[in-house]
Amino acid sequence: MKMRKIEMGFTEPDMTPMIDIVFQLLTFFMIAINFENTKADERVKLPKDTLAKPPTVKPEHELVLNMGYQRDTSGARMKSVPEIFYNERYVEVRQFTPDLEQEKRVMERIHGKEIIKDVTVLIRADSEVPTGLVQELIKKCQETGFSKFSLRATSEEL
Amino acid sequence: MKLRNRSSGPTKVEIPMAPMIDIVFQLLIFFMLNLKIVSPEGNFNINMPIGAPSAAAADQNLPDIKVGLHSDRDGRLTQITLGSKNLGNDNAAFERLNKEILTIIGRPGNPLTKEVEVEIDADYETQYKYVVKTISKCTGRFDPATKQITRYVEKIKFAPPHKPKA
Repeated sequence: MKMRKIEMGFTEPDMTPMIDIVFQLLTFFMIAINFENTKADERVKLPKDTLAKPPTVKPEHELVLNMGYQRDTSGARMKSVPEIFYNERYVEVRQFTPDLEQEKRVMERIHGKEIIKDVTVLIRADSEVPTGLVQELIKKCQETGFSKFSLRATSEEL
Repeated sequence: MKLRNRSSGPTKVEIPMAPMIDIVFQLLIFFMLNLKIVSPEGNFNINMPIGAPSAAAADQNLPDIKVGLHSDRDGRLTQITLGSKNLGNDNAAFERLNKEILTIIGRPGNPLTKEVEVEIDADYETQYKYVVKTISKCTGRFDPATKQITRYVEKIKFAPPHKPKA
């Protein structure tokens, strides 16, 4: 029997080292992956700061608003006015109220009337956006009923 | 008898590896494609209740700290002010602001740091990064040697927005 096997030239490769490595890689990617940042928009170049540490307690309800410039591939601005990147659309700040109202209605329908007080608005604004526009956005959110605000920044390692 | 002996003895059992490897590779490819390397992000909370000026703040022993940011039309910083004091417009100005805040609050962790508010009054055009930097300098200090953060003032608010420069 043994003789015949060798004659057929069939040898089983040793799988063990390969499986070891594949499992190592799998574990690495599983740990490194971060599903939470899916709402983070890469088009926004956040300001950097050493004090910006990820919060220990994550707010229960949050509304992420990304504000920045439309840029081409080289990074040059395509429009001089910054816009809010909202659901694949570009909305200027002064035209944003209807979207905020809709956001509020959806939240109220899901979580009840009082939810608006507990929602944290996370503002991810580009580092070059004029401050006045950020303030205008905050004001619009306040008029809609939002009251908690957070400004996002990338944490900078020293 | 010989047969039974052979099956109950310590023989090597072959586990079919192929299906497991298939699945593991699928998983590996899934996680590899989904991996996005992003630097961690942090928040600065700002205190902006509706009905803007808080009446309670008026009768505290510490007045509000007013930080002004002035800029040119392109949003570049031209001057930082603290109250009526001019601090300059470079990186050292932010450090001076940090020191001044510490002088005002006395020591970090002072109970007053929970009460006192910093009001940031920025020109319309001021680039947002300067505002974030100002907030950072008012809320604390990062010590590069010990990698510890010392917290200063906790409450930050914005002054009513200005009109853009015509």
